[in-house]
Amino acid sequence: MTVAALLAFDRVSVVFGGQVQALDDITLEVRKGEIVGVVGESGSGKSTLCRVLVGLMAPTSGTVSVGGVAVRTQLTQHRLAFRRRIQMLLQDAVASLSPRMTIGRALEEPMAIHSLPRAEARARLAEILRRLGLARDVLTKFPHQISGGQARRIGVARALVLGPEIIVADEPTAGLDVSVQGELLNLLLDLQRDFGLTYLMVSHNLNLIRRVTGRIVVMYLGQIVEEAPTRELFDAPAHPYAAALISTNPAVDPDKRLRQIVLQGEMPSAVNPPSGCRFHTRCPVAQPRCSVEPPALAEIGAGHRVRCHFPYSLDPRRH
Amino acid sequence: MTPPLVSIRNLTLEAATARGTAHILRGVDLDIGRGRIVGVVGESGSGKSSLASCLLRLLPTNVSRIDGQIVFDGTDLNALDDAAMNDFRGKRIAMIFQDPMTALNPLFTIGTHLVDVLRRRHPGLARDEAMARASAALVSVGIGDAPLRLRSYPHQLSGGMRQRVMIAMALAVEPDLLLADECTTALDATVEAQIVALLEGLSRGFDGSIVFISHHLGLVAQLCDDLCVMYAGTIVESGPVAEVLANPRHPYTRALLACELDDHAHGGRLVSIPGEVPDPVALHAACVFAPRCSHAIDACRASIPALREAGPGHRAACIRFEELA
Repeated sequence: MTVAALLAFDRVSVVFGGQVQALDDITLEVRKGEIVGVVGESGSGKSTLCRVLVGLMAPTSGTVSVGGVAVRTQLTQHRLAFRRRIQMLLQDAVASLSPRMTIGRALEEPMAIHSLPRAEARARLAEILRRLGLARDVLTKFPHQISGGQARRIGVARALVLGPEIIVADEPTAGLDVSVQGELLNLLLDLQRDFGLTYLMVSHNLNLIRRVTGRIVVMYLGQIVEEAPTRELFDAPAHPYAAALISTNPAVDPDKRLRQIVLQGEMPSAVNPPSGCRFHTRCPVAQPRCSVEPPALAEIGAGHRVRCHFPYSLDPRRH
Repeated sequence: MTPPLVSIRNLTLEAATARGTAHILRGVDLDIGRGRIVGVVGESGSGKSSLASCLLRLLPTNVSRIDGQIVFDGTDLNALDDAAMNDFRGKRIAMIFQDPMTALNPLFTIGTHLVDVLRRRHPGLARDEAMARASAALVSVGIGDAPLRLRSYPHQLSGGMRQRVMIAMALAVEPDLLLADECTTALDATVEAQIVALLEGLSRGFDGSIVFISHHLGLVAQLCDDLCVMYAGTIVESGPVAEVLANPRHPYTRALLACELDDHAHGGRLVSIPGEVPDPVALHAACVFAPRCSHAIDACRASIPALREAGPGHRAACIRFEELA
């Protein structure tokens, strides 16, 4: 890699209570200005990945680094500076605003904590509100007086007031109507372009991930099972789980609908993950080897890695 | 042609709020054909769930007015008193709720839930017989190891399994009308696909009608026979699902379809519908969508457009749909 990675996970594992393997040997790099999507079922480790990255949780082993310096080092030596570099958009925008604080106070609080010069802070806030299309009178309101779409934009504003380099967005459009999600995504894309932001975006919405990300990481039971450029993943998923996930996304246009691969059963427990390949219990194309030998995450093309003994054996396009 | 199972005419629902009277449903007309799966889509606040609540008359206490007719197989439900209405609930009309965790009682086993529902439908049913049927109901929704699951409590099941239990409970009733309100929204994509495949399979062996409420157009397109698009307490377009999606006549339906992130090229601007959903407290004397519609003209703001024929079985509430086609 010629350009140094802005974010790097190096063999990161997180184990809860000595039993639950929430993340298992995650190695991942994100370059400046990239938009990387993370998909997977609940319990696959997506949120743990975000938490470890922003420093809300320490990895059990391995290192997470931002700008080449370990997050743990930055947290102990330059805590506030680190917090300014990386901000998180929380999933429940309304619940993440204190009901007792006006929107104005909620937005000014981070600037006070980071002791930004008042005049500069005010000017920055005004600029952000203008960009987000929020009228100034929103500042005097309380969270219960604003709509869900406005609360989302306030969340974006609060993440941006400190001028971060990296935004971790956990389900940025969850709970939004389709009629307004486009507006929010346009905004996130504009901000990315204008401020050179880097996004790590977690979502269940495959259409969204397909539309806005350049690269996708597919997770299953705490592991990365596939990582690929977005278009490549949607055109030809190599891992059977990725293939199933993509096939189950129903298109409005019947001609574009794929043959659905309906998986049997549900995700096994992370306390006692299956032997061999963790996906073999639900995999429609599993072979005897899969239940014995755990596959490694192997490179199968430029920027394309897959954790499967028999990649491309399940194709949602083949009827 | 056989008459529809449910014929809703001019259904109006109002509720008293601190800000005044909220108009939740503003004169809804809808037919639900026998054996049809009718998808209901629309933004939050459009009245989708309220429509389902009216069919069961499970309404909040602040409802101040309910008007119009809901003719269910020859009986006007709105004319019934509460006791008579109770003979329909959980017997001829059943509902799958959105959140199975709050709809299942944490203190009772899955078996108790199913037996309760079965005994309500068939009073006097022996417990052994009810348990046998409960077990069969679980098997029919793809839950293996039914005897064990009958003894389980809701918290011991996964989200997908709980939703299957909800479906088993609704189907055990053998209703003529099944209401499914966002019943897959809380589930993961691969589990959602399992539940939808299950509903598709079950609907073939089920001769009742299904009302499937969802905000996911792709899902509705795949599962449903008919589609009904709601906006601000009114139906703006309805008809056979393939016809409405291939040839939408109302500007709101078109705008909704344009917002789908479906498959368009990477990059490019994403589409949204400018403006906001109208305030339910406001009264309307014009097309409800006019303030956000890019095709609105003076005539649109002069009177409420009727839901009129736009093709075979296809109706749209827009005065301009011929010229906009």
